[in-house]
Amino acid sequence: MGEVDAELIRIQGMSDRQVGEFLKKNGISLKVEEARRIVHLIGRDPTLTELHIFNIQWSEHSSYKSSEEWLKLLPTKGKEVILGPSEDAGIVRFTKHEGETYGIVMSHESHNHPSQVVPYEGAATGIGGNVRDVLCMGARVIASADPLRFGNPDGKHANRVKYIASQVIEGIAGYGNPLGVPVIAGDIYFNDSFDENCLVNVVTLGILKEKDIVHSKAPPDSEGYDIVIVGKATDNSGFGGAAFASLILDEEDRESNRGAVQVPDPFLKNVLIRATESVFEEVRKKKIPVGFKDMGAGGIMCSTSELVASAGFGAEIDLDKVHVSMHDLPPFIVACSETQERFTWICPTAFTDALLKIYNEDFDLLNISQGARASVIGKVTKSPTYLLSHQGKTVCNADVQAITAGIKYQREFKPPKQRYTEPDLGEPKDYEKAVLDVLAHPNVASKAACYKHYDTQVQGLTVIQPGDADAGVQAPLPGCSAGIALSVDCNPKVSRIDAYWGAANAVAESMRNVAAVGAVPLCLTDCLNYGNPEKPEAFYQFVQGVKGLSEAATQLHFKGTQEPVPFISGNVSFYNESATGKAVDASAIVACLGRIDDLSKVITMKIKKAGSALFMAGERKDTLGGSVYYDLHGQTGANIPKSDFVSERNMIYAVTDAIDKRLLLSCHDISDGGVIVALAEMILGGEADGEIGAQVSFDEKSPLWKALFSESGGFVLEVEEKNAKEVQRIFSGHGISLIKLGTTGGPQLVINDRISLPIGKLKEAWTSGFRRAMA
Amino acid sequence: MKPTIAVIWFPGMNCENEAKRACVAAGMDSEIARWNNAKLEKFDGYLLPGGWSFEDRVRAGVIASKDPLFDSLKEEAKAGKPVLGICNGCQVLAETGLVPGIKPEAQMALAPNANPFVSGYYCTWVKIKHVGKKNAYNAFFKHGEILDIPIAHGEGRFISAEKGLMEQLEKNGQIVFKYCDANGAVIHDFPVNPNGAAANIAAVANPKGNVLAIMPHPERAFFKFQHKEKQMANYGDAMTLMPAARIFESMREYLKK
Repeated sequence: MGEVDAELIRIQGMSDRQVGEFLKKNGISLKVEEARRIVHLIGRDPTLTELHIFNIQWSEHSSYKSSEEWLKLLPTKGKEVILGPSEDAGIVRFTKHEGETYGIVMSHESHNHPSQVVPYEGAATGIGGNVRDVLCMGARVIASADPLRFGNPDGKHANRVKYIASQVIEGIAGYGNPLGVPVIAGDIYFNDSFDENCLVNVVTLGILKEKDIVHSKAPPDSEGYDIVIVGKATDNSGFGGAAFASLILDEEDRESNRGAVQVPDPFLKNVLIRATESVFEEVRKKKIPVGFKDMGAGGIMCSTSELVASAGFGAEIDLDKVHVSMHDLPPFIVACSETQERFTWICPTAFTDALLKIYNEDFDLLNISQGARASVIGKVTKSPTYLLSHQGKTVCNADVQAITAGIKYQREFKPPKQRYTEPDLGEPKDYEKAVLDVLAHPNVASKAACYKHYDTQVQGLTVIQPGDADAGVQAPLPGCSAGIALSVDCNPKVSRIDAYWGAANAVAESMRNVAAVGAVPLCLTDCLNYGNPEKPEAFYQFVQGVKGLSEAATQLHFKGTQEPVPFISGNVSFYNESATGKAVDASAIVACLGRIDDLSKVITMKIKKAGSALFMAGERKDTLGGSVYYDLHGQTGANIPKSDFVSERNMIYAVTDAIDKRLLLSCHDISDGGVIVALAEMILGGEADGEIGAQVSFDEKSPLWKALFSESGGFVLEVEEKNAKEVQRIFSGHGISLIKLGTTGGPQLVINDRISLPIGKLKEAWTSGFRRAMA
Repeated sequence: MKPTIAVIWFPGMNCENEAKRACVAAGMDSEIARWNNAKLEKFDGYLLPGGWSFEDRVRAGVIASKDPLFDSLKEEAKAGKPVLGICNGCQVLAETGLVPGIKPEAQMALAPNANPFVSGYYCTWVKIKHVGKKNAYNAFFKHGEILDIPIAHGEGRFISAEKGLMEQLEKNGQIVFKYCDANGAVIHDFPVNPNGAAANIAAVANPKGNVLAIMPHPERAFFKFQHKEKQMANYGDAMTLMPAARIFESMREYLKK
């Protein structure tokens, strides 16, 4: 392998113990045998810079070393998939408009570890990174969604849990709002499995013309092209972020871990986005071949090496040309720090001056943000080596393919010993109190106090805002009738009991949610959040989760074909585990993107008029395992909802058909809290200002409380009486018999002769629970 | 010929595209003009959109208000050209003194919201009532007419240290929109007044009526599809212009004269 001038770390001359000590002292989380593998791979002892590079590239976060072989199980292809999971974000075909084909770019990431340690910055930079992933495909970033999981707000870590929850929400608002990316969906769950490891996932959407995609790789024949980095001046922040994301969090290391979290700058990002859009315009107009990539995990090193490696080239980079805001940084920090708000361009030298002018002069980076600019730092080389020089010395000289290939592990897995049992709870003594308690549970209660802190409407494209329906809806191309819907889902307690069904149900629920507004599921993304993959029981949950996702996406296929709904992007986050070995609930968080051809047909969940019929699709089953009702009784339970895929997909087809014919007035999916919550939320509406109640009856052949609180999937539909027959016909055409629940009207929610709750009481319970949890 | 509106973008602003879209849908031409190379004189009118100009360092809108661009914008305003500031644009206009514009210096500021429900940034739909005397933006509103419109800001509370200013603005008819309830009652308490603004001010004009500073977002309540709990008969109906669009249409008519 190539020669270097920098000092070599004599791995070959050290004992295993000495190697271990050296790695630990230098904050390198590689295992001893991995360090020895590097020697073998590059044919000599490595430099310290090279060790740091492999440390990042071989981290779980960057290499998917445990997960990749299993991720192959997921369906990722489809006739509408423009780009599957291979670059920074996936792209699905959306619609044709004025002779152009448009795609939606979608990315799904986690920023769990940083958010646990420094919640405001962690959550903010999580959005920042995900937005860059979408932007760098050449897209206009149009929406985001935030699935959040926090600890028990009444548990033994209550104070820290509330602090983290409120700071994460502040961070999302503090970053996403100034950027001008509206939040259109999200969910929040609290339970004690997240006490020491919160989950902060982000989904971001963008839109582009299919012909305008910019790839995250060097263009063909790009030997000699310039490598240009733009954005914030490099400092030491976020150094080791990728490796940090692949560690178990130890409370005692909290202080030292803070340095691994990046520092967000939404103002600079706002300007960078607009400047970058100007560059896109310019390269399209002049047909300039370029490569463009976000700088995230692994910083300059990862971004530049992957850009050239994926096109079969190499790179020669002078780290002294990197614009920095701290002096005397060692080369591995300049190369690998994860300073936020940066990108890498590869462009022909003839275009370089124009590129620099857009950032440095037109958008005046030099004057509006201290130290920010665009700088040429190197060149694309024909030889496939990755050369880094620093102060006249070569500090890295290795085969670029070796750097980017990563490593793979086959992890062992075995089912956990833990067995769950079903409790024997009798009928509630006071039905009305039971209903109000469920409505006030923080996992059910209105999250308005959270999402009203977010800008849900900037860009003027929002059709349905968070809270008003099961999915957020946008008109991404004003003037075009097609719209998109987005939902994110995964019930953590169900997944705790059974990781397979937790994941499969998450796919089903996310599809139900986009169907409930009238959109047809188009594609999925996933973020797989689990504990330590080196533990066979934790890894078993991951394997089960992937299998559940795969099975559900295959079974809940597109209408009229057998084609699975594809996963177009995703992310894996392991080591969500405390130092005492407590892992988070298995969380295969799924996002579903739906399309509606005529967005004027969308409906919300709020009851529209008195005197309409209420129907239910999806019979109630004895499946209270993981339910809110059990949670309120301190129980977990065992009988979880298991999606019956055939009826699940038929319900989805029937609901979207009925909405397409404008036959439903409102629609709500049945999930957390059960059908009683679906009914109460339809009465209240997202703003909790509804004034139309309902009279409903359930057959009491089986216990009423189980029917009300079971969380088996389904829908509640509001239908005008005159359309009832037609709606029933559509459902029976798909093999689904609708259950008539009752009619809308009156000032209360009345159920059999057991429950008669005035709307005001429903409102009080539903609007207080989340605020109380956060207080 | 259609008039052309410059949507003036300062670094950190983020509502420029929908502002431009609203101008165009209201029958005008529009261009986004960057703060550092805007040739103001060639435009017929100006719009300062929402966002966080210069990160809202120190105080919302204050850094942008010191930009040399305002030397010429003030001249254009003096000549009667319309200047509309929305949200951050409204904050900037207050800091320049262009509104209320009775004296040459700043007389009002936009203070942090007083909101018992969500502290800081707050995004929601509110109702506002038209109460102004005739100006460039309200040609198509009846007195007392109520509009649904969203707000999205952390600093939207109009205040002034000047004694008697609010009374003077009322008397002059410079207060153009006030936060109100569904029946038009102007109630100072949350949630009717979402940020605690003095005199429930949602929008204020200069005495001549060619400069308007409005905290709510008319460009987000422009088309029917953007409204809450709407029923749309077809896609054409989704694009129906809603009452807030008349602010832009009035600007267009004003420019015809």
